[in-house]
Amino acid sequence: MALLRDSRNSRLTSPKKPFLALGLEGSANKLGAGVMKHNEDGSTTVLANVRHTYITPPGEGFLPRDTAQHHREWAIKVIKDAVSQAGISMHDLDCICYTKGPGMGAPLQSVALVARTLAIMFNKPLVAVNHCVGHIEMGREITGAQNPVVLYVSGGNTQVIAYSRQCYRIFGETLDIAVGNCLDRFARVINLSNAPSPGYNIEQEAKNGKRLVPLPYTTKGMDVSLSGILTSVEAYTADERFRPTGTPYSPEDDVITPADLCYSLQETVFAMLVEITERAMAHIGSTEVLIVGGVGCNERLQEMMGIMAQERGGRVFATDERFCIDNGIMIAHAGLLSYRTGYNTPLEKSTCTQRFRTDEVRVTWRL
Amino acid sequence: MPSSSLSSPSPTQRLLGSAQLIYQGAEAKVYKVYLRDPELQQIAKHADHDTCSMAEDAAPVLLKYRFNKRYRHPSLDASLTRQRVAGEARALMRCLRSGVNVPGIRMVDAAGGVLGLEWVDGKSVRVLLPGGSEVMVAQDSDATDDVGPDRCEDAALAEFGVERDDLLSMIGVEIAKMHIADIIHGDLTTSNMMLRRGGKDLVLIDFGLAYHSSLVEDKAVDLYVLERAFASTHPDAEPLFNSVLASYAKRLGKHWSAIKKRLDDVRLRGRKRSMVG
Repeated sequence: MALLRDSRNSRLTSPKKPFLALGLEGSANKLGAGVMKHNEDGSTTVLANVRHTYITPPGEGFLPRDTAQHHREWAIKVIKDAVSQAGISMHDLDCICYTKGPGMGAPLQSVALVARTLAIMFNKPLVAVNHCVGHIEMGREITGAQNPVVLYVSGGNTQVIAYSRQCYRIFGETLDIAVGNCLDRFARVINLSNAPSPGYNIEQEAKNGKRLVPLPYTTKGMDVSLSGILTSVEAYTADERFRPTGTPYSPEDDVITPADLCYSLQETVFAMLVEITERAMAHIGSTEVLIVGGVGCNERLQEMMGIMAQERGGRVFATDERFCIDNGIMIAHAGLLSYRTGYNTPLEKSTCTQRFRTDEVRVTWRL
Repeated sequence: MPSSSLSSPSPTQRLLGSAQLIYQGAEAKVYKVYLRDPELQQIAKHADHDTCSMAEDAAPVLLKYRFNKRYRHPSLDASLTRQRVAGEARALMRCLRSGVNVPGIRMVDAAGGVLGLEWVDGKSVRVLLPGGSEVMVAQDSDATDDVGPDRCEDAALAEFGVERDDLLSMIGVEIAKMHIADIIHGDLTTSNMMLRRGGKDLVLIDFGLAYHSSLVEDKAVDLYVLERAFASTHPDAEPLFNSVLASYAKRLGKHWSAIKKRLDDVRLRGRKRSMVG
């Protein structure tokens, strides 16, 4: 894979020798393994990025127990694939990085167990990584954004983040459910497929939407609230004008289609996210914005953010599904950054946690 | 109806065209305009609803223009703009009726996204308190035009003939008056307060996030937001904020104990919660 730039505003000096890390991610329904290389010239190379997603039937979400079982079943295959794609041996690794949190308990524990086992088998140090910081660092690395305001949007998180003094400070966030959760749950209500992801299918469905139905618009300063919007959009499916997909109607009928609802939901929710991001940008005087997390690969969100950034004389940075959606490589990258500053996690402390805020991590590798 | 129609510009748009842009925030552009020009006065009268007083024709007017957000769906954008301009005017009106020191309303064009306010001649409280002038962070609608890197806050205060303790107690009184009127500011910071030249009045500004509520919870959160703003802007903010609270408590009288109790709760809980996933 292509050679990537190293960030300029880094505390790290170029390494004397290349560093290699295996990253393991399994905080939700994606099991990922990635191999990252930090080169002597300060650049980085993605050697492998393998992922397997646990997909449930339409109308169903993923439950922790079943997801953990999926991860246990696939762990060996996914890791073997990653290591062989990278063309390395397990003995070449400098460290093994795993997601400490935040996420679902059972899947996190399964993957942490795999990481510990590998660490003992090959006698490698472990590095526990915050999932959110993994997203941010990977986004910065891929896009080359130096000091952006970060919008982190996924199934479990909705945060507006900016870096200041060794910490990714949270400026705004959701007061209730995450935006990905809101979209996924609505996809379930209208029975959209979970493959490749419910959010992707909402995005495609929204392209056929014509009508903007009124939904609550709930920004509170730099925070948003999303649960009421989900309730409201669900209520439209019980409206007498609602026509499920496949029901015939004539063009002049006053109807609301699932596509209309997907469109309205996206337009409303994304406008709120762009608004709070803009507030944060105005507050700290930044013009760069980086979108990370699974919802970040939504092209409508990227487009809206782009218009906003352009109006402010800045630009938007976003990545595609390989790096936006949960993956192992981001864990390997963020893990390596902290490993190179001298951090590692002793075996007896290699726990995981469902709650682990982005601002709890001391970012030792940045200026 | 968005004001950017293809036909000839609306009176409000023409007024904006003659105004001087002084600040652009995330949500609005802030302009300064003089209504001396007879034609412009005519326009202002036309767009006005009640309060345009021509006796003050030499005084400038501040225009807060919520411009179109192109990223937003046009009909969503239009209805949000209308609601927010009207909401801000409503909150200000309520404050004015209850005797809270806020800028007077000069014109409201909700559909056009413009709120015309009395021009407050004075200084932002942020630069009058220690540390405030050091951080030049862009703030929403900070209407002062002379926020220079003035490090001698006390000298600035002396110019107004006001002691620091007086200033802090004025802040507490003004917030108390606002809360008694059941208005929650929503974004209390020292940037959103001004000391009027002459030193008599402390004026609360930027009611863009204000709303009406009589809940103790909302008032306590409002105070907590200010406490956090003090802590992040002014070093050794604790005694400063305590003086503000003391005068707030005095003015609020018997309602204070409930709010104090809730404020302690809010502090413990913080505003942030732990997230899953």
